Amino acid sequence: MSDEHRSREPREPSVVLELSRRKTTASVAIVRDSMAHATRVTAPYVTMARIALARLGRDRLARAGALILACMALVGVFADLLASGLPLAARWHGTTFVLPDVTHPAVLRNLDVRRMRADRQPGDWVIASLVAHGPTEVGEADPALLPPLSAGHPLGTDALGRDVFARLVHGTRTALSHGLAASLVLVLLGTFLGALAGFAGGLVDSVVTRAVESLTAIPTLVLVLVVGALVPDPTTSTLLWTIALTRWTDLARLVRAEVLHALGEDYVTAARALGVSPLRVLWRHVLPNAIGPAIVATMFGIASVVLIEAAVDFLHVGPQAGLASWGEAMGEARGNEGAWWLIAFPGLALLATLVALNLVGEAARNAVDPRLRIGSEA
Amino acid sequence: MLRYALRRVLWAIPTLLATSLVLFFVTTLAPTPPPGTDDPAVLEARRARFLDLPRFFNTRPQDVVSRAEAAVRIVAAGGASEGIGARELDHLGGAALPYVVPDLEALSPDVRGRVAVSLAPVAERMGVGNGVDLRSPETATLFWARFWDDRALDFTRPAVDRAVTRLVEHGSDLREADLVSVDTYALPEILRAMTTTTDRVALERLTRVANHVTGRGPVLDAGASRDEVRRAVADWREWWFVHATDFASLDGADRALAFVTETRYGKWLQRAASGELGVSVIDGEPVAEKLRDRAPMTLLVCGLAMLLSWALAIPIGAVGAWRHGRRFDVVSSALLFLLYAMPTFALAEILRATTSGHALSGTRVVLAVLALAGGSLATLSRWQRNAMLEVVRQDFVRTAHAKGLPAWRVAVVHALRNALLPTVTLAGMHLPVLLGGAFVVEEVFGLPGVGFETLRAIEAHDVAWLMAVVLASAVAVTIGLVASDVAYGALDPRVREALARRQGDPLA
Repeated sequence: MSDEHRSREPREPSVVLELSRRKTTASVAIVRDSMAHATRVTAPYVTMARIALARLGRDRLARAGALILACMALVGVFADLLASGLPLAARWHGTTFVLPDVTHPAVLRNLDVRRMRADRQPGDWVIASLVAHGPTEVGEADPALLPPLSAGHPLGTDALGRDVFARLVHGTRTALSHGLAASLVLVLLGTFLGALAGFAGGLVDSVVTRAVESLTAIPTLVLVLVVGALVPDPTTSTLLWTIALTRWTDLARLVRAEVLHALGEDYVTAARALGVSPLRVLWRHVLPNAIGPAIVATMFGIASVVLIEAAVDFLHVGPQAGLASWGEAMGEARGNEGAWWLIAFPGLALLATLVALNLVGEAARNAVDPRLRIGSEA
Repeated sequence: MLRYALRRVLWAIPTLLATSLVLFFVTTLAPTPPPGTDDPAVLEARRARFLDLPRFFNTRPQDVVSRAEAAVRIVAAGGASEGIGARELDHLGGAALPYVVPDLEALSPDVRGRVAVSLAPVAERMGVGNGVDLRSPETATLFWARFWDDRALDFTRPAVDRAVTRLVEHGSDLREADLVSVDTYALPEILRAMTTTTDRVALERLTRVANHVTGRGPVLDAGASRDEVRRAVADWREWWFVHATDFASLDGADRALAFVTETRYGKWLQRAASGELGVSVIDGEPVAEKLRDRAPMTLLVCGLAMLLSWALAIPIGAVGAWRHGRRFDVVSSALLFLLYAMPTFALAEILRATTSGHALSGTRVVLAVLALAGGSLATLSRWQRNAMLEVVRQDFVRTAHAKGLPAWRVAVVHALRNALLPTVTLAGMHLPVLLGGAFVVEEVFGLPGVGFETLRAIEAHDVAWLMAVVLASAVAVTIGLVASDVAYGALDPRVREALARRQGDPLA
């Protein structure tokens, strides 16, 4: 038992347990337990959301995870500032361009920083982004498989001469946006179907339950691979839809259990006795219980979407949309022995994202679990 | 206990049906050859995937009787489409004769003649009517009337069955010619004999007759290798599965069942249930046999990875929870968390890259198992640790401590035994992940398993193999889920009772 833990939560029953394990008599433990209970009852009224947020804020690992995710999100959003073939801002041939990546001026269509610099007129200036290469730019001038710390390519280049840093940065955008998009669908679907099954019961419940069970039995990666191969022109959205339409099951299961649990509670009976309409009971008294699981499922949902998409890209069987992705970058390493930087950097980015998502998800799960309110912060 | 197990197995049936519906939906995603063409290759491709059948319910199932009647109607109507009807009669062959020839009398003389003439190719194939001019309506009508008077008794199922049995048991050219003379009418019995007999000479004769009457398909010769025989029989069976209703009539129970069996879903389910999963487009091998060849490698890798991860996860998780918050727990939790977040393919790739040069297949299997076990180890040990944490909080553990038992005894006998239970069920839930991971490690380490083959099939758009793989993995996972539930019930009487009370809702 660390000192820090003890000072933080002096009345937590985990302490009681620890004490009891240290051969303190059971009666002491029971006294401490009831004391803890008494203090809690007299505490001022707080909402569950408050408690959850406070718990989340206290969790150092969750804070670290959230920080990593925030950085990732910033990198994804501002990917063009970090790595782009076009300059951030430039004055070229008498015209000033600001963020040409966003405005897409026609004049600059076939140009990049290097050509613009070479073809400068008096008074022209070019401010390049951090790395002056785009993710899909196949550099004729750049040799393939440059090791990291080469001039102009801080993380080296891949077998096609594309800049690894640029692909990493733009891969962040791909991974996070796709993860978010697919998990949005799966969260909506899972919450809706889970609530429907729990609330409606009967035939609807059976159908949803069978659907959950049958989808659980199909390995998602295998299904995604097969659907990608069967659909005539697979695109990234095919992939994301497939994942979203098969991965809602965990959440539906959780939401259904929460709804069934809430329906048995006295406050629901009371609301019904007061003549509140079933829909309002569902919306006001039952569904709020499912918000916690839904948030947790979003975190793990993003993680699983990122993971599956990376695996599919790694196997080089996904839609070849030309998007930069971490998995695809790692797959490149298979044909190029010794190019460790092709695995290491995207691998670390992927690992960091998944670790962060799991940390936040895990902390969120503990934070919203009302049973853990009296339990230890395991 | 047995009642519980049976109940759980029965509960798997609706789940499997739901799974089959999902997979059937996936098959409909595959690109389809366009309808409404005359190109025989396209028509055949549509036929092979039953695209012209209704999806779920067939109110008007087609068999040889309805086909023959339709063909006669087309010929009778005459005009430009008469050729189509004639071709259809040629295709149906002898199997259609019992439904065409006796009814000729009822037709008007003009129509009668046309139908009789269009049967000429059939007679030629059967080797009858030598010296008769079958192209002239009068003689042809007369010929078929006489033919039916003489030979009607040959066109009965028992007669054909006897003829085929005789050919298989004591083959001779004369008996072969006997079978040829009833043409496609003998196909059901010939195809049945093909699957039951292993005699090389009999198969040679059977395939020769089948090829003669249908004008397609492989013929075995005396020097055929075992492999060739297997493949030829598979080809014939596959063809018969698709075309049986062209030559057989639906009677009695079959006709009633055809409402659901003669549909796309029904055909798909029949394939799935019978293991007739079609033929691979890559090498013409039957998919079922290929699956049987490849599965052991995948099962080996999965099984070893599972054993290894269990053997490590249980002690690590249990000790971590028992020494909750101490150094061992903190360090092992942190390491396992990293492993938990590590994608299987990344772990596999790192293992492969760091040990490149070991081309031995044994080494590759070991590395694949390690890569696969890594992820499972992290997941299982986290579950184990959580379960153990729940248990050590319980009163009976406190009581065990209080009555002065040694700590190890409390840990192993009181805590661990109870904490193992949830992990057993969750292990079933982990199966799909394990199977998906196996596909990846097989590809990375080049192991010839199901996953490796699947990636080749994706490149070649081998629909039959892909569908078989999803189906097989879904069935394997369902079996695993049921097994782990049954194991849970066997270990924990509370679960058994709860399930019996609630009529078994596996989700609750």
